[in-house]
Amino acid sequence: MRDELFTMMGEMPAMSAELLARMREEANRNLLRMKHFGEMVMNPKEPKVGPTPRQEIFRTNKSRLWRYESRRTIRTPLLFVPNLGISRPYIFDLMPKGSFVEHMTQQGFDFYLVDWGVFGEEDNGLTVEDAVTKILPRLARKALESSGASEMSVLGYCMGAPLSASFVATHPEFPLKNYIDMAGPIDFAHVGLFGKWLDPRYFDVDKYVDTLGTIPAEMVKMGFKLLKPTMDTSTNLNLWWNLWNPDYVSGFNALNKWANEYLPFPGEFFRQWVRDFYQQNKLIKGELMMAGRRVDLREIRCPVLAVGAKEDNIAPPACVKPLIDAVSTRDKEYVELPGGHISLIAGRGASVHCWPKVASWLAARS
Amino acid sequence: MADNPSQQLLDMWKRQVEEGTQAWLRMMGQAQAPTAMPNMAMDPQAFWRPFMDQGMAAWSKVMTQGTAPSPDLMAQWKQFLDQWIGAWSRVLEQAMGTDNFAQLMSKQLEGFLNVSAPIKKAAEQQIDASLAGLGIPSRGQVTALARHVAQVEEKIDALEDKLDRVLRRLDAGGAPRTERA
Repeated sequence: MRDELFTMMGEMPAMSAELLARMREEANRNLLRMKHFGEMVMNPKEPKVGPTPRQEIFRTNKSRLWRYESRRTIRTPLLFVPNLGISRPYIFDLMPKGSFVEHMTQQGFDFYLVDWGVFGEEDNGLTVEDAVTKILPRLARKALESSGASEMSVLGYCMGAPLSASFVATHPEFPLKNYIDMAGPIDFAHVGLFGKWLDPRYFDVDKYVDTLGTIPAEMVKMGFKLLKPTMDTSTNLNLWWNLWNPDYVSGFNALNKWANEYLPFPGEFFRQWVRDFYQQNKLIKGELMMAGRRVDLREIRCPVLAVGAKEDNIAPPACVKPLIDAVSTRDKEYVELPGGHISLIAGRGASVHCWPKVASWLAARS
Repeated sequence: MADNPSQQLLDMWKRQVEEGTQAWLRMMGQAQAPTAMPNMAMDPQAFWRPFMDQGMAAWSKVMTQGTAPSPDLMAQWKQFLDQWIGAWSRVLEQAMGTDNFAQLMSKQLEGFLNVSAPIKKAAEQQIDASLAGLGIPSRGQVTALARHVAQVEEKIDALEDKLDRVLRRLDAGGAPRTERA
């Protein structure tokens, strides 16, 4: 083999100027890679996240309502409802030029964010019903009061979409102007791997909750990591490849911080979420009850936009799109954009595809 | 194509991997020949070979595009690795989407619950007893207190909600509530 190598080297083409320049560039990049790797290991800096200035408007138990600074040139305020538990909401305001919140506030939206908070053992009795019929209505009203507007748009992301859809469908008195579902599952028959793993034949949710109480953050992390086992390898490979680029490194540090901060689930919330949504798919079937009221998505009569992500393995497009047929409004649109579940709303691709689409759709109806 | 240095590199690498695989199989105590006993319960080559073939095909395509090898070997190598990882990801996703995997995972998790539940209970009892002896409140007592505080807060919020509703009705002059159009 050694002889083969030496023989082959004699046959390699002569070094062109372009090749020399490329090799010089690669050598320079390798030096920068080593430098930045050394900095990351020897002198790690806590990334600064959540750069957009904000004010706490209201707090109830662990949940908070945040209002972000904005010129507020668009009349109708926007209430953003993310997932409860799982991960921190600063992914939506990750870093300057890489923040959905920043983009929307720069477009002139009066932006309110629901921060569900980090629930502890004392909150194990919190159910989906409590979130939909107590916490969310309270926060939504406070947002409306704070804005001084007569109507409000609501945007639900991920789990926040079925939660907020259930809220608006059971509270027709709430002055809803527009509704957006971003990567939020509605028909849980098409949720992919989670649907298979949480199937009642294989997953006894009652045993889990009765044994563990709070579903620990480590278990939530394990579930999401298992969805894409090669993700860490791919991430580290891309990090090595782009380690010469200081902008990439700061973006990676911020995203990596978020990607390793998982949150626990309150026990009863997890029980109801798995049983009523994943296992029995009650929402799309019209069988879901919240505080004695049936959740009928036909009660959503305002303009609706549903946004699916093409490579989403948490909420595949097939489980997002059914919202469009379930609502009774005529002004409704479904779009499928490039990206995965997170990259739909955070990252370079999001700033090109998703953010402008959502902002322009909403602005035209506000 | 055989004279192409890139192709030679590729062939050499492929030979090394094949020899490595055979060595691994020998270590595992299985037959050397690719045509192993068909009734074997586990044939790692059946799992390994599709990736190899896929990876080889991908790298071969990358390396042999054009008449001359590209100077950007690192980028080609990265591209190859990306495709390799992508292939692994697709196969693993298929495997994890089967009923067998779901059943296996269910058994693993159930086993974990069966083992951890009594241990957790015993540990909690022991810690509670120790803390009681020291006159320090236990985790359960602190949690119960926090729960009471949260319940009081909820009651206050509910009162505030009722008050808001009454005030809104008064502002509306007692007019009936209008539904959303």
